[in-house]
This record gives sequence, C-alpha cells and structure tokens, in this order.
Amino acid sequence: MSEKFDLYIRGERVEEGETASGIPIKDVYRPEDAQMDYLHNLGDPGEFPFTRGIYPNMYRGRMWTRRVQVGFGTPQETNERLKFLYEEGQAGFILTIDLPTSYGFDSDDPLCEGEVGVTGVAISTLEDLETIFDGLNPDTVSASLSIRPPVSAVSLAMFVALADKRGIALDKVIGTQQNDPLFQMSGGPHQTIAQFFPWEGTLRLCLDNVEFISQNMPKLNWMVTNAYNLRETGVSAAQEAAFAIAHALDIFRLAAERGLGIDSFAPRASFFSSTGIDFFEEVAKFRAERRIWARLIKERFGAKDPRSWRFRTSVQTAGNTLTTQQPLNNVVRATSELISAVLSGVQSIHLSAYDEGLSLPTEESQRMALRTQQIVAYETGLTRTVDPLAGSYFVESLTNQMEEQVMSLIDEVEKVGGLIKAVRTGWLEQQINDARVKRNRAVESGQRVVVGINRFTTDEVPEISIHHIRAEEWGQKRAEYLAKYRRRRDALKVENRLREVRLAAKSSENMIPVIVSAVKDSVTMGEIHQAMREAYEFKIPE
Amino acid sequence: MRSSRILLAKMGLDCHDTGVVVVAQSLRDAGMEVIYIGLHNPANKVFQTAVDEDVDCIGLSFLSGQHMTQTRKLLNLLNDSNVSRPVVVGGVIPFDDIPGLKEMGVAEVFIPGTPTAHIVKKIGELCQA
Repeated sequence: MSEKFDLYIRGERVEEGETASGIPIKDVYRPEDAQMDYLHNLGDPGEFPFTRGIYPNMYRGRMWTRRVQVGFGTPQETNERLKFLYEEGQAGFILTIDLPTSYGFDSDDPLCEGEVGVTGVAISTLEDLETIFDGLNPDTVSASLSIRPPVSAVSLAMFVALADKRGIALDKVIGTQQNDPLFQMSGGPHQTIAQFFPWEGTLRLCLDNVEFISQNMPKLNWMVTNAYNLRETGVSAAQEAAFAIAHALDIFRLAAERGLGIDSFAPRASFFSSTGIDFFEEVAKFRAERRIWARLIKERFGAKDPRSWRFRTSVQTAGNTLTTQQPLNNVVRATSELISAVLSGVQSIHLSAYDEGLSLPTEESQRMALRTQQIVAYETGLTRTVDPLAGSYFVESLTNQMEEQVMSLIDEVEKVGGLIKAVRTGWLEQQINDARVKRNRAVESGQRVVVGINRFTTDEVPEISIHHIRAEEWGQKRAEYLAKYRRRRDALKVENRLREVRLAAKSSENMIPVIVSAVKDSVTMGEIHQAMREAYEFKIPE
Repeated sequence: MRSSRILLAKMGLDCHDTGVVVVAQSLRDAGMEVIYIGLHNPANKVFQTAVDEDVDCIGLSFLSGQHMTQTRKLLNLLNDSNVSRPVVVGGVIPFDDIPGLKEMGVAEVFIPGTPTAHIVKKIGELCQA
C-alpha cells in the first residue's frame, strides 16, 4: 500500500507523449511553433478556408443543435419518448432503427427473430413513419434518420409521402437524411454492405437520394459520410478524418459522373463525426478538416458556391470511450468530449448517455445527456466567442500536423484507387483491424489508461436502471400489425406498384418517385427491397 | 497435445465485429487455431462448421441484443445432436441475462472491459479440458 502512496506523493510522470493518432507533443509550445498565416491558412470564421468555423458568428448567431438519439420498439413507443424529450428541451433528434429495418426487412421476416425493435424502432410501412411523427411535422422538427442506402431510398420516399399527405411542400422539409452506403453498419466488414443487397444497387440508390434531394428539397441536409460509425471501430482521429473525406470525394465524383453540378448537391452535404477523448486532438482534427475540405472542393470540383466549401458536421461523443463498469464516470467523459466539440465549432451534438456500455438510453440517462449540453451551452460562457483556441501556439501547431497526417492518408487512399475501391479490396478493413488490435494492446498493457478498466477498478455491479429489451413482445406486436396492414390494402395496386419498382430498378431512372407511389399504396419496406433484389438478380446467400 | 481449435462466429443481424476480431487475434497470438466465420451465421452453419472443423470450443459474439435467442438456437442444435462442446459468449450482455445464459449451458460470459488475457486463459482451459 505504501508503494502506491509514495508514487502519488512524488507525483506520477505523464507517460504518453503522443496523441492517440501518434502525433508527438512537446512539453512547451512557443510562437514559432504556430506557423500561422492568418490570411491564407486561418481566415476569419465564415471565410475561406473556414479553419476557424463555417459561419461568421457561430454559436452567437445560432446555438448548436442539441440532439438525442431516439428509437426503440414500436413506432408508438418511440413517438411517446420523442414527446417526452421535446418537453425536456431537445432541439432535434436522431432516429435510430432496428437491425431488420437497417437491412430492409419487414419486422415479421423470419430472419429477424429476436431483433425487432431492439437497436432502434421498427419501420416497415409508411404508417409506421406517420406514427413516429404523430404531432411532429417535418418542416418544424429536425430529424436525422440513422439509415443507409438502400434503405434510405425507402425512408426518403416515406418522408416525401408523409409531407405530401400533410400538405407540407417538399422545399420546406428540414432535417438530415443519412445516406452513407459504406460505414453505416458499424463501419466494419465488407459483409455488412454486400450480404443483403447488391453493391450496384446500393450505390445507385445512394445517388438517387442525392439527386432527388438536391432537386426537390433545398432545406434537407444529407449525410455523405458516417465517420462516427467508422471511428467506433478503433481507428484514430486522423484516419477518421482522412477516410471520411476520401469517402465523400468518391461519392461526389459519382454524383458528378451522373451529371449533377457540384454546387447543386454540395451545399447540403454533411458529415457525422465522432468526438473522442483526446481533447485537443479532436479540436485540431475538426479545424484541419474544414481547411482541407474547403480547398479540395474548390480546387478539385471547381465549386463556386461558398456553401459548397463548408465542412458541416454533426457529432456524437465517442461511445467507444465509455465503459460498462462504473457508468457514472461516463458523464465526465462525455462532458469533456462535449466541450471539445463545442470548441471545435460543430453544428449539432448528440451526447452519448452514461449507460452506453449497457443498453439503449433510458429517460433518465437521456435527460442527463440533455442537461449536460444545456449546462455547457447556457452556464459556461463557452459560446460567447468563435474559435477561442485560435492563436494558441499548441492548437495551431497541432492543427497543421493533423492536416499533414490527414492529407497523407488521403493520398494513400487515392493510390489504392479511392475509398470505395479500398473497401471492396479489403484495404480499409486491414487498416481498421490493425487499428483495433493496436488499441486493444495499448489498453491491455496499461499503456493507455482507461479508468475503471485497467486502473482504479472496483468489483461492484452498477446499480442503475437500464432499458429493457422486449424483443419477443415487439416481434409479436409487429407481426400482428403487419398481418392486418396487408389484409387492409388493395392487393392489385400493390402488385402493380411492385412491378413498377422492378422495372424502375432495371432502368436508369431515379427510383424515388416510384417508391413514393409504392409506399402510398401500402407496399412495405421488405417488399420493396425484395422487388429490387429480384430486379438486380441478387440472392441473399443461405 | 495438439493446439486448441476454436470457432468464433457472429449470429443474427448484428454487425459489430471489433470485439470478436480483437479476441481472434489475441487467441492466435497465444498459439491457438482460430476459425472465424464472420457475421450473420444461422445456428446450423455454426453447428456444422464446429463439427466439420472439429473445434474444441465455440465462441459467440453479440452487441445488439439477440444473444438469448441465438445462443439458445445453437445450444438446442448441439444438445439435440448430442454434440458436446463448450460454448462461450462475449459482448454487450446485460448483467441480468448472464444467469440465464449459464443456465442454458454457456460455459463463460465475457462482458466489455474484460481483459483479453483473461479471455484467452479461460478459453484455453476450456479447450484443453
């Protein structure tokens, strides 16, 4: 016992002299380290290259959106939780869906046994989306749908149908349509992309979404890269930034190949990023990302609209930094990450709840997450000036170094043939696996300290109430609902719509209008996907 | 004494593979033969592969809440076929579900934060038993 206390009295040395991305950090930074060229490399906020922020007055002009992740069980239960959270002050939400819906299956598909309503809400019909949005309208409520192509084509179509039915003009619909074909399913293996739907169809629907949104829904944001999900695999901050940007460059290239003008789709493109626990590295990452993005879009794509040059991002505080053990510690971690995100000048923040390592959030843990954001927003004064860390010798130096590392990684990806190729050849999976193993070894060896895991551990089982999974109950309710739903509809209309879907899938037309008609005539999520698979002659492997 | 052979698999629609990939590497580093068959495996595939590859132990990984349903399916197959192999489960498993899994016949449950060295040791013991 005395050995440990001796160490504390003497004072431990800080051992890690590098950021998590491997950038070496000096004891002391001086003016010459900053290498600041204010005019060319920084600029005022709201001015190219936007290092200091994408808008001139940032939070002084408009507070970041405080989002909460919602979605579980049936649409009714999700709607109730949404109403509760609006009462508690959420400014927007992220709608998470269950795994069956993520893969385009109806809740009663046999493949989905035990999974209905577990990771998020089940959405199989237009009526389901209407129920979720009962009392909430898509022109006043900002929803970000956590979803991917091909499913995002159907969810977008459902949104359009919802707006139509409520007499809301499409050009008034707000929120974000997430649309990342590669990283959405936990940022992981190729299998998540290729097992249940053909690559060709996934990329085509991704672009159908971009095209439809850019032509009809000027206020709707679309997410080009889910860098958060990728980051959760264990890659570094620099890798997150590089792969996110490289991914977006590929999607933009494909959109341009389709004939879409860069300034027609770039202004509403957005990212979903992580904010990890290495405080200053994250700030440097976001500042570097803004600078890199602005230059790449202007130079490589010839974008002329200044809105196209802006790297806009929502963030979630990193779930993978939170522990299952001693969950209240996670409030502290998330708060630090929140402050990091605020100092980074991001547009929207979702704070991970303290029970992240245990289950989906409860009302209590979501309220705590909201209060954390509200306290930082309203009590700390952090929002009073834009980019307060600018000019710090350390932060400017770190921003430059981060930019270098990110650009060099982007170059590596380009040498492989672009990010999509990097995924398809397994190159990216190799990077991810190397990073995961490295991270695990660092924690196992104690080199990377995680309080409650490899230091300052306790044996107690956490005594907090957690969200309970009722998969069997939800599965049964949904099966009954879908049976009734299918009985109620006009079978002939359904057949005709499915024929139209198959034909459209085989053609090169934009599929969104056909899917809108289909969902309005009560064709389900699963049925639409199956029709598209048939058109692409794709069979799910046994 | 041949080196331990272990089959690792994910079942159901869950797509989170960081844990299982890291454990696979650690087991290989410790000299074990690891057969990892990826995601979305139905129970009969896990069962058949375990038999065909003559493994000593089966490890299942879950994050998204389907652990009870899927583990039960696999254990039923093993029991019905009179094939006896230790099954271990790792991942985000609520504390309340651990007794239920053990009652089903699961030998060990490894939750997040468990040192990998501990997992390797336990699996090694089960394989050599």
